[in-house]
Amino acid sequence: MMLQNLSIKRKLTLITMLTSSAALVLSALSFLIYDLVSFRHLLIQDLMTQAEIIGYNSAGAMEFKDVPAATATLAALTAKEDIVTAVLYGRDNKAFAHYSRASKNTPTLLPPQSQGNGYRFEGGYLQVFHDVTLNGERLGTLLLQSDMRQWSVRAKRYGGILCIFVLISGLFAWFVSSKLQRLISRPILHLEDTMRMVSANRNYEVRATKSYGDEIGKLIDGFNTMLSEIQQRDTALRGANDELKSRTGELEKEILYRKQTQEELLKAKHVAEEASRAKSTFLANMSHELRTPLNAIIGYSEMLEEETRESGKSDSVQDLRKIQSAGKHLLSLINDVLDLSKIEAGKMGLHLENFEVAPLIDEMTTTLQPAAAKNGNTIHVHVANSLGGMRADVTKVRQILFNLLSNACKFTDHGTISVDVDQTKVEGRDWVRFRVSDTGIGITAKQKENLFHEFSQADASIARKYGGTGLGLAITYRFVQLMKGRISVESEPGKGATFTVHLPAQVVAETPESVRPTASSDVAPSSDESKTHKDTILVIDDDASVRDLMSRFLGKLGFHVVAAANGAEGVRLARQVRPLVITLDVVMPECDGWTVLKKLKSDSALAEIPVIMVTIVDNEAMGLDLGASNYLIKPVDRDRLAVLIEKHRAGRPASITGAPATPFIASPQRRRESERRASGKVDHAEDLVSRR
Amino acid sequence: MPKILLVEDNEMNRDMLSRRLQRKGYAVITAHDGEQGHLLACSEMPDLILMDISLPMMNGWEVTRLLKSNESTRHIPIIALTAHALVTDRDKAFEAGCDDYDTKPIEFGRLNEKIDNLLTVKKS
Repeated sequence: MMLQNLSIKRKLTLITMLTSSAALVLSALSFLIYDLVSFRHLLIQDLMTQAEIIGYNSAGAMEFKDVPAATATLAALTAKEDIVTAVLYGRDNKAFAHYSRASKNTPTLLPPQSQGNGYRFEGGYLQVFHDVTLNGERLGTLLLQSDMRQWSVRAKRYGGILCIFVLISGLFAWFVSSKLQRLISRPILHLEDTMRMVSANRNYEVRATKSYGDEIGKLIDGFNTMLSEIQQRDTALRGANDELKSRTGELEKEILYRKQTQEELLKAKHVAEEASRAKSTFLANMSHELRTPLNAIIGYSEMLEEETRESGKSDSVQDLRKIQSAGKHLLSLINDVLDLSKIEAGKMGLHLENFEVAPLIDEMTTTLQPAAAKNGNTIHVHVANSLGGMRADVTKVRQILFNLLSNACKFTDHGTISVDVDQTKVEGRDWVRFRVSDTGIGITAKQKENLFHEFSQADASIARKYGGTGLGLAITYRFVQLMKGRISVESEPGKGATFTVHLPAQVVAETPESVRPTASSDVAPSSDESKTHKDTILVIDDDASVRDLMSRFLGKLGFHVVAAANGAEGVRLARQVRPLVITLDVVMPECDGWTVLKKLKSDSALAEIPVIMVTIVDNEAMGLDLGASNYLIKPVDRDRLAVLIEKHRAGRPASITGAPATPFIASPQRRRESERRASGKVDHAEDLVSRR
Repeated sequence: MPKILLVEDNEMNRDMLSRRLQRKGYAVITAHDGEQGHLLACSEMPDLILMDISLPMMNGWEVTRLLKSNESTRHIPIIALTAHALVTDRDKAFEAGCDDYDTKPIEFGRLNEKIDNLLTVKKS
């Protein structure tokens, strides 16, 4: 383990040294062994030769039993240091003469068991036997014992030399390998340094230097290529980042600008609304102020006329009548302005009463007979027999008819004006339809656009030719709106025009606060019906607690909740109530939610009603396939449910309500604002007047 | 000769209306503000009161309420005259106890009819 964690330098040195030392030691050892073996062999040969010489020299002495001579011969061995003992044995294997380097005593060496020449090692000594013969006759045996001193000295010396040699060559190998390992380790270390520098400083411009073309060189090449790649990407990334930053900055600026613009717009809108309110209040007050002196003018002229007539001055009567008629005309114009400003200020209410329609039509045609006669027109009236009474604001119905008829008279010359009144049934409700047609100058498509806008007559030349404030149709339109009816016009320029007004046979009163024209409830015939169920949600769920929770939650949001405990009842209630939205569970006994959904969507009367699935079954695809509008999984996210229902309420399309051409619809906010503002505050308008 | 109290602050209207009523054969007494109107109603006991609503000192609603809460003047019919011509004004008038209601500018014929009606009802 330790070895593996060593630096590459050390590893390389170590490997080189271990390899070379192992080879060196092995070869030295084998050489030593060979040398020692062959040296021992040489020693044996030498000793055997010695034994032969001494045996030959002592053969005479043994023949003659001359012990001293034999001992003297043996004593010559003192020159040979390693021979420790020499013994001459006779034929009886008894020691005849002996020599010992250490002591004078006869050695206790036993004669050899077998006769003949030979050697053996015993107790660390080499023993050599030699037969002593004379003339072919064996006289005895010579034993020489050597302690191999020469050999062990030689072995020790050789071992020492070998150790020194191994040490020196090991040192040399270390020196050489530590020099040579740099060839490999240096580029690797350089690469490592470079790498560390890059990762520490994130400086991708550094490059490793390539020294050789070997594998490490290739490695460095690869590393450099990688670095330049990273550098490129880094630069690109930085560029993109910078661009992103600048874009974000631009966007922020843009957002700020838009916000400012929005605020300015909002301010401008408030100013405009304020101005509009001020205008309405001013007009209301101004009209009132104008009416007071007019009141006097008309009153006094009437009085004068009566007095003059009684006194018989008929000339002045005509003039006084002109004053009266001019005064009344002026009054009607002022009344128009007042009406309109009252409508705009949200002060116009409905006074509902039951009345017969036919007598009203008679009254109107009689009233307008002089106006018709003035341009040579004839009025044809057709009132359906079935037509009975209606409940509405009779003054406003009268004014609607008066405006339409007087317009018809005004813009028709020697023509026919027809009034048709009948009763129709649309979407289960009774409507009274008034149609006023003429054969007059008609209205172009372009003029139609502004027809119901205040202060806009078809064009300026008409105002000069026919007179009028251009408020008549605007007021008519508003009155129809107030009674939740609708008005439309068909015309061909030069051939006449037909105005059609639908009014509910039974107009429902609403407090001014609730008169808020919205996209769905302004003027459409069905608006009243859709209103009744506009806030109704049908909850179909077999779980009573779910029905209860939904009722409470939706009730808090201002919805009316109708609940059904099973599918069949759900479908029945849907037909009966026609709710704004249906929420539908899937898992129910008998008739499951899928079946209910299919039934609802296959019924043309109910297919339009949005269905929100509220269930634990996770199969949105199935629900949407079958025609559900949304799919919520229990437990229900109430906020989301509320948002969805609101969306459906807001998105209740005009197609359901059948809105007519609807000019000028005041925004609910503006309406509310003006209602609040105009509730009796006149200071502002007076301010406005005095400043002028 | 029926006696009519006209409470009206605008001098011209007061003059004109009183003269026209006199021409129709009524005895007319006039008051130019609410307080005076209340006093005259109590002291003169007219047969009918024409009551303008926007009056100085005390407005027409208050005078009407006072008169209608008083045992001795409760029977006197009151016609409110208002320039506002708002439905809420009409409701307010009946709420305050007015017997009828008309809007300015006065259409004399119409007003005369209302006066006649109320006086006839009173007689019967």
